[in-house]
Amino acid sequence: MQYLSIKKEEWDKAVEQLLLSYTIFAAVDNEFGIDYELVRPENIASISYNKAKPATSLKTFFLPVKENVTSGIPLKRQRIIIGAPNCDIQGLKILDEIYLDKDFNDISYRERRENTILISIDCFVKQEHCHCNSYGIRPWSDADSDLAVIRNNDLIVLRINTGRGREFVSQLAYVQVLKDENIISEIEKANSKAESLLKESNKGLPDYKATGIIVKNAGDEIWRKYSAPCVSCGACATICPTCSCFLLIDKPGFEKIKQLDACQYPGFQRVAGGEDSLGELPNRFRNRYMCKYVWKPQKFTSLACTGCGRCIEACIGKINKNELFIELAI
Amino acid sequence: MKLTTGDLKKIRFFDHYTDKQLETISKMSSLKEFKVKDILFEQYDELSEVFVLLEGSLSLGISLAKEKRIHLGSIVEGQLFSWSAVFSPYISTAWVMAMAPAKVIAIDAKKLNKEIEKDCDFGFKTMSKIAQTISHRLSDTRFQLMNQMML
Amino acid sequence: MTDVKNIYKPIKARLTEVIDESPLIKTFVLIPEEEFSFGTGQFIELSVDGIGEAPFTPSSSPHVTDKIEVTVMRTGYVTEIMHNLKPGAYMGIRGPYGRGYPVEAFFGKEVVILGGGCGLAPIRSLLYALEHIKDKLEKVILCYGSKTPADCVYKPLFKRLNSTEKFEAYRTVDKPDEGWDGSVGVVTTLLNKIRFNLENSIAVVCGPPIMMKFGTIRLIEMGYKEDQIFLSMEKNMSCGLGKCGHCMMGEFFVCKDGPVFTYRELKNTPDIWK
Repeated sequence: MQYLSIKKEEWDKAVEQLLLSYTIFAAVDNEFGIDYELVRPENIASISYNKAKPATSLKTFFLPVKENVTSGIPLKRQRIIIGAPNCDIQGLKILDEIYLDKDFNDISYRERRENTILISIDCFVKQEHCHCNSYGIRPWSDADSDLAVIRNNDLIVLRINTGRGREFVSQLAYVQVLKDENIISEIEKANSKAESLLKESNKGLPDYKATGIIVKNAGDEIWRKYSAPCVSCGACATICPTCSCFLLIDKPGFEKIKQLDACQYPGFQRVAGGEDSLGELPNRFRNRYMCKYVWKPQKFTSLACTGCGRCIEACIGKINKNELFIELAI
Repeated sequence: MKLTTGDLKKIRFFDHYTDKQLETISKMSSLKEFKVKDILFEQYDELSEVFVLLEGSLSLGISLAKEKRIHLGSIVEGQLFSWSAVFSPYISTAWVMAMAPAKVIAIDAKKLNKEIEKDCDFGFKTMSKIAQTISHRLSDTRFQLMNQMML
Repeated sequence: MTDVKNIYKPIKARLTEVIDESPLIKTFVLIPEEEFSFGTGQFIELSVDGIGEAPFTPSSSPHVTDKIEVTVMRTGYVTEIMHNLKPGAYMGIRGPYGRGYPVEAFFGKEVVILGGGCGLAPIRSLLYALEHIKDKLEKVILCYGSKTPADCVYKPLFKRLNSTEKFEAYRTVDKPDEGWDGSVGVVTTLLNKIRFNLENSIAVVCGPPIMMKFGTIRLIEMGYKEDQIFLSMEKNMSCGLGKCGHCMMGEFFVCKDGPVFTYRELKNTPDIWK
């Protein structure tokens, strides 16, 4: 584990300098909470550190809501994303499995992944519905982001995770090896505290595998009960870091537009002959949970739910999947 | 016209009977031929024979009123029909008409029932085949019904 | 980036002939502008420029590579527009995708094919493929049912099959018309006619969901094992590549893990016939 440090004001200056050669997005404190913004010199000071989580997940940077996939414009510049919590970093893994599949490599997705430096934050504070710990995810990244940034008073501590992260940092001036054990200890204490908070708050919630079992065996009544307030708006799937179903739309010149879609929209599986296996709401509602907790695990090794809790926050009908799981687990 | 065990062995319906059992069946069976539009039996007729279609095509149906025939479907080669001849009151549930020149194996139902009572193994095999025929007829009818409902 | 094929971009194919098979069904004969081949049972995503795309299993022989035939039933928006195309038009082809019929696994076997309705299109391709290797097969029996005599596409196919060594073909219709003198009833009744050696037989089922359900149940009752029955599944598809999620059936992507499955693979998946 290599920790480096840089004074906050030098870091802010470095970010401004990087704007000359990178497109940078960062999680910024705004009036509603935290969300990504395109970084400009004016908002560098508002970049958010040490707390969960941006309203948007990383998905939007790699799978845009709408893009032309046949004559797509490649990225003009390399990108840096600052402020991703570990739940979102982990959420990219299943997207990698689907889109970087060896037989059918999505070159647009690949180009975005290869040309983006991921800088994560450690979550010292959790939001109401955060439950990453239930699925084996820790509220900090020490492996899968390129580097993590942690604010410690007027210092930015950098935890270097990958070779690319190391290379990236080597171009910054005023970066030193962090020798102060106290600071490292403070950070580790804060990590542990966050983990304990999460554990306490998510006590009754079954883990990923157990959730798969209870979802698979659940009877019709529970799906009817919990789907009753659902209006099939698709917010849960849209905001989810790992939901990536899409529709291909034809444009003249045999071009194709790829647009995010969701199994929650009626007609998702309807065929021209009229059959619609997800036509009924309770069945359609159940489908998303079966997909995340039962079917995707049979096909992929990565988690299809990272416990970020955004689906609970976004739901118009105030449906809380964790209440459903806790009820099933009893 | 009489039948031999060799003739019966060619038909899948008679699989799993022993040679001795096939010989018994052949002794109580005859080959009958029908022309187009021949009625083999009417709905509500008393039946004395069980049939297996060997060649040709027959239509099975019911009558709602006199002369108003509803065709329900074909009997195809290899199929058993007139199974009501085995069970009291031995009354046919449908009529059967030849749609093409047909050759049919006719088995004497009274003799068949006697053999069923006498030989348990023969009885079990025969009843199983009849049960399967009726089960398939029911399943095919449901299939037909679902097709109609989807239209 | 340009050295890797863009998985979403179709190749162009020129429509050279449109064959009217029935009031609702046409066969399109297409010449792809790039080299293109497929395995029998695989499918393509066929598109009309700027309008839409739909999945089809080619109905031509996989051994004919300079052109492909696709049989299209007019069912919805995209197929309606396809039916209005004239020779000379260009269509887009992506593919071939999916797992087709494992023809090598049929060597030495009696192949019983149960087909219904539009299912005859992929079956015709399979029959061509089997004809190509008929020396390696014991026999091939086709049992086919359509709603009416007019709904049966490729009518000359049956006569041709019945005069081909090792091939037998039987037909039935749900609703006969004036001139029909064949069997009437559902396709499962035809299974009474056929002689086959169960241990050495495999069954292929392709057609509307109801027909596939009843057909599979009947084959199981006849003694076929679950891995002896090959099903051609259909679902709403978009990408054809196992990514967009539209064709998911339980944990399977029909476009990638199928469309051909054995019944054993699917028997624990609920609602496959919905």
